[in-house]
Amino acid sequence: MSCENPSVDKDALMARRPKFDKTKQCVKCKERTGNVVIRHAVYCKSCFFPLISTRFRKSLEPSVNPTPDGPRRKALKASGSLLVGLSGGLGSTVMLDLVAKTYFGAPSVADLGEEAPPSKPKGGKEHPRNMTGKDSEIWRGVPAVCYVEVCGAFPGAEDRTERVRQVVESYATTSPPFAFDFIPLRLEDAFDLEWWKGVGELLFTPPPSSTPILALQAYLSSLPTQTAIHSATQTLVRLLLLYTAASRRASHVLLGTSLTSLSVNLISGIAQGAGFSVAEEAMEEWRGEGKSGELTPPIRIVRPLRDVGMKECAIWAWWCGLRIVGRERYLGGTQGIGSLTRNFITGLERDYPATVSTIARTCAKLTPKEGSDGVCLLCQRPAQHGVQEWKSRTSIRSYNHASFSSSGHERPPHLANATDRPQHRTEPSPSSHLTPHLCYACHTTLTSRSSRGNVKQTSDSKVVPLPLWVGASLSLVPTSEDSSGEVWATRRMGDGEMKAAIGDLLLNDS
Amino acid sequence: MAPQTCAICQKAKAMVKRPKTGEQICRECFFYVFETEVHNTITQANLFKPGDRVAIGASGGKDSTVLAYVMKMLNERYQYGLELFLLSIDEGITGYRDDSLETVKRNQQQYDMPLKILSYDELYGWTMDAIVSQVGRKNNCTFCGVFRRQALDRGAAMLNVDHIVTGHNADDIAETVLMNIMRGDIARLGRCTSICTQGEDTIRRSKPFKYAYEKEIVMYAYFKKLDYFSTECIYSPDAYRGHARVFLKDLEAARPSAIIDIIHSGEAFEVREEVKATQRVQQVCQRCGYMSSNALCKACTLLEGLERGMANSGITDRARKKLDAEGPAPDNLRTIPFFKPPSGGPLIAIESVS
Repeated sequence: MSCENPSVDKDALMARRPKFDKTKQCVKCKERTGNVVIRHAVYCKSCFFPLISTRFRKSLEPSVNPTPDGPRRKALKASGSLLVGLSGGLGSTVMLDLVAKTYFGAPSVADLGEEAPPSKPKGGKEHPRNMTGKDSEIWRGVPAVCYVEVCGAFPGAEDRTERVRQVVESYATTSPPFAFDFIPLRLEDAFDLEWWKGVGELLFTPPPSSTPILALQAYLSSLPTQTAIHSATQTLVRLLLLYTAASRRASHVLLGTSLTSLSVNLISGIAQGAGFSVAEEAMEEWRGEGKSGELTPPIRIVRPLRDVGMKECAIWAWWCGLRIVGRERYLGGTQGIGSLTRNFITGLERDYPATVSTIARTCAKLTPKEGSDGVCLLCQRPAQHGVQEWKSRTSIRSYNHASFSSSGHERPPHLANATDRPQHRTEPSPSSHLTPHLCYACHTTLTSRSSRGNVKQTSDSKVVPLPLWVGASLSLVPTSEDSSGEVWATRRMGDGEMKAAIGDLLLNDS
Repeated sequence: MAPQTCAICQKAKAMVKRPKTGEQICRECFFYVFETEVHNTITQANLFKPGDRVAIGASGGKDSTVLAYVMKMLNERYQYGLELFLLSIDEGITGYRDDSLETVKRNQQQYDMPLKILSYDELYGWTMDAIVSQVGRKNNCTFCGVFRRQALDRGAAMLNVDHIVTGHNADDIAETVLMNIMRGDIARLGRCTSICTQGEDTIRRSKPFKYAYEKEIVMYAYFKKLDYFSTECIYSPDAYRGHARVFLKDLEAARPSAIIDIIHSGEAFEVREEVKATQRVQQVCQRCGYMSSNALCKACTLLEGLERGMANSGITDRARKKLDAEGPAPDNLRTIPFFKPPSGGPLIAIESVS
């Protein structure tokens, strides 16, 4: 007989909602007992692997062919080679594993697990994995894995290049072996002429500055907030990967952004004013300038784990015994928008597991409001026009600004009788200005200040070095007065000129 | 240490650190840039034309108090040629609205503007106190929000105005952008950054404080010595909105431009055409004539639930089915008066300044 107390409120006795729905049986095979719970659904170990690899392929394969038509599985043929970005973190390590196992013959999970290897080739003989010779190649040439070491930006950080190299080389010892080309880069390569000579055309001679690492540190220390350092680092890594990919004639760059990281990037991007390029966060196409100055063929940046959450990645890594090197996750300290967003989203994901997927799906339904009239020199994503007018209209910083005086505003009462206008630093002419060539988010990164005192800035550097692609592109930008559309071919960027170009962005003069 | 000079005029002594930009500026420049930015917002969107009758949604809180002051001043300074009114909604929450309505009445005197107070009781036959006593503290915000929006439009129709301006500030809009993304509310995300919204049969609504930071509004009220009531609603605050608000405040602390950056992001994108095609078409409520996405508008649905003693029928599908199972609404059901968009002169007597 039950000893329940009838006077107790029924609600108070209700059990908490179970973490999984209805049964402990796998929702897919409906036979075995489940091993993992993914968003309230239970999966067994055997069904988990195909679930993830299917999601991975579904995200990647529609964008492999230059035009997504025809029966995809039989005719996967990319127009160039493959470059995999590896940060050493969980997402990219899992993605490398999936790439190796799905397309390059590394032993599949079924072979590694308890089950006996199948007698028939898995996926049928037409599957790219089971084809031989030239037919088997989806991408041209040997695929590359590129790692960008960021320790140069953060003194005291560990150099993980060798440990990442071991992870990549471990695929050469599997059966059958497969060797990726390993390309180790460093963040300071963005300021290194030697690296740039290998990937881009040298149209200008940068000021004879110090070493690349000092240039990198000078660039980062000139930024006004912790948030800016984080996003500038992200941009440098992205562009280093892209230029490297272009130099290898790659058609695809794969990044290991999981669904969780994608949601964090989307919200953090929106919070930094990057709404115009919200679609680019999930999938983008980039064309750079090659060594001879012409535009390279388009490179697709695909995030094939964009439907796989962080938890699923961790389970994959655990069951496959993957070694996660870890990454230097600099999110701008506790006061950076990156880390605030990450904490916020992972907290929400814990309490409301569907949130990250909602964010990604909502943002996938968005498109830029108007066409773009150019590309931002710094991040090389589409830039919106009229950004500076918008900024000066919504946040007035000067009574001398053209948009202020032309709009017929009166003078403020306390200046009405003043004969002389307020003296402001003279702005360089718009044609020599970097500002018009930046997108909203990059301009904000370089100029928006923190309310809690600025990041410590170096006092001795009067000229802030910029990544080499900015200097190269700036030398190709037609001047606004140049109505004939003629392009400057070669021009030397001297110290003073560089200073004038970014004069408005330098904060250490004040 | 020598006192800082104003970063804008370079003459006067800097008095405030501007929340939006972090610049140290003098008090006069703060007033002037604050007002001019609101003016820029108004002119850029061509919000008004001379002769427009404009109602200021006045709650007695900081935003609407400053809005009334700034609207009156800009109207005179830049000769907008507007006829301004104050429109207040009395939700009927004892101890919450009483004091703030006193502020609105004082504003009526100070600014020499006609005032109309419209109560939920007058319009729907229910005060919020009565609603809470039936539905409890959970979900009562749904009733209040739906009823307030319609009440403002109906009040404006009574005043026969062309336009309602509300005190929504930049923080509110940035927060709404984030919330709509996290909730996947595509329809609202598409329109939440618009400065002006207008349904087919409703009155134009705009937000002249769209780019004004909440902190700057408080700072403006403080320096101008404008008095207002800062009372939190005594019924439960929305938990999810609370999360987003805290997050937004953290972002602002990390980088003050975050609020305006989010608004810029929200303005830079729109919903894809193919997604828009799947959204519902606006229609008119069969019972009260107000704009609606369904045959019955949300206010009529909620009111029917209240009247029939099943208040949750407007909130959960299960309760709605239960209500439907009990048959159609009785003929003698109390309903909202039929909505008539403004035409000709005022439909009601308004309180003029005594």
